[in-house]
Amino acid sequence: MRILLCCAAGMSTSLLVTKMEKAAEEQGVEVKIWAVSADVVRNHVDDADVLLVGPQVRYMLPQLKKVGQEKGIPVDMINTVHYGTCNGAEVLKFAKQLVTK
Amino acid sequence: MSKFTDVLENKVMPVAGRIAGQRHLQALRDGLILTMPLIIVGSIFLILGFLPIPGYEDFMAKTFGDAWLTKLLYPVAATFDIMALIAGFGIAYRLAEKYNVEPLSAGAISVSAFLLATPFEVSFLAEGATEAVMVGGAIPAALMGSKGLFVAMLIAMLSTEIYRYIIQKNIVFRLPDGVPPAVSKSFVALIPGAIVIFVVWILRILVENTDFGSLHNIVGELLGKPLGVLGGSLIGSLVAVFLVQLLWSTGLHGASIVGGVMGPIWLAATDANRLAFQNGADELPNIFTAQFFDLFVYIGGSGATFALVVMMLLRARSQQMKQLGRLAFGPGLFNINEPITFGMPIVMNPLMIVPFILAPLSIVITTYIAMSTGLVAKPVGIAVPWTMPPIIGGYLATGGKISGALLQLFNFCVTFAIYYPFFRMWDRQKYAEEQGK
Repeated sequence: MRILLCCAAGMSTSLLVTKMEKAAEEQGVEVKIWAVSADVVRNHVDDADVLLVGPQVRYMLPQLKKVGQEKGIPVDMINTVHYGTCNGAEVLKFAKQLVTK
Repeated sequence: MSKFTDVLENKVMPVAGRIAGQRHLQALRDGLILTMPLIIVGSIFLILGFLPIPGYEDFMAKTFGDAWLTKLLYPVAATFDIMALIAGFGIAYRLAEKYNVEPLSAGAISVSAFLLATPFEVSFLAEGATEAVMVGGAIPAALMGSKGLFVAMLIAMLSTEIYRYIIQKNIVFRLPDGVPPAVSKSFVALIPGAIVIFVVWILRILVENTDFGSLHNIVGELLGKPLGVLGGSLIGSLVAVFLVQLLWSTGLHGASIVGGVMGPIWLAATDANRLAFQNGADELPNIFTAQFFDLFVYIGGSGATFALVVMMLLRARSQQMKQLGRLAFGPGLFNINEPITFGMPIVMNPLMIVPFILAPLSIVITTYIAMSTGLVAKPVGIAVPWTMPPIIGGYLATGGKISGALLQLFNFCVTFAIYYPFFRMWDRQKYAEEQGK
């Protein structure tokens, strides 16, 4: 599964990347997870199965959902509590749910 | 208090969301970002040119010859001094992208239109002459940098709007049947470019018949100056910081949203200082530059939350706050504070929103006083990235002045004092929850 994360500068979501990778490793799931800034999402979205958006840029969600529709991948916002506490396992679970839905 | 979060959720949030989602503001912000890596690279050369080490200049002159500084600053001219050109391209590109039209041509057309709005002449003072004359045939470097920034921004918007309108309206030459489709297609791409160039050309000719003389002068007088006054004033800066904090209180990226409007103003102020610094001026023109906010106010991220992280590590009784402190320390050092804003949380938490707004506002004032009285050096326009840890950041941004680092330390203490009582209340509450009381 390829999970793309995005926020304003791709910095704080990159914190989450390592936590999610760790959670995936523990569960024995093969994933590719990376974080980018919102302005370059279009250049990365082709490689992703799901796009997760940081809550601080949720004003971009409608726009990003449209991009997701064009590419046929699910797009949603990361839960704020999971985001703030860098809960890799929960966000990974969320990503899986979105992809299999 | 729940009424307060109600207002945030139902009044502030939707408005903020709409403004933040506005495509031109987004394009402006995303387009300007294109200049940042270059400016940071240029800054490295700027730092090397003005290292605050005694005897450095003499050493360099002896080793590399008298013209060492001029040569060292070549890259500065090709990074800082072309920011308008790069921004004009970037903004048009990002805007076209948002309209789902081909962005590369939009960027190229925008650059061409920007140059068309710029008279190709520079003032030249011949040896022995007393009055400078205008010489043609040269692109004025000064207008390619921060001085041309506002024109580049406006032209990028204008040209891309025309460009996408024509493409979306599907206005094309109707060529007779029998002309190969590929040929007529190549004409389709020509029309928007031609119209943009025509419009800007007419604009320039009209303006040349007025007292302003050039589009650069008009924009400078009518837009640059008032905006500079707004962005350069204490009140304007307090309002901007207040808005950033208010937006973050609802969980929206305030700095990014407000930066869409203030970014170009602060960038222009930064560069005005850089030019003065590079020319060896005694007094730098601006206090409120991008670095003022990024490094001196937002210590630990928007809200100056680094003090909060430190007190979590040192003083927290609740497990939750202790753990959060450990998690947030690393990112906080580099001014990233989402773990704090969303994890504590500060977002939609009336108790913590109070210091979250007060702390940065207070240090805007202390920093302003420190810099306007000359107690602390002003930022010299070196584009230190906002992720630079405190102490180092303040030192570098002031061109290697200890006073810059000390001011950051002082501001840290101020924010510590403001956050502390609120932190204690919150921590106690969490502790009580954990003990099951």
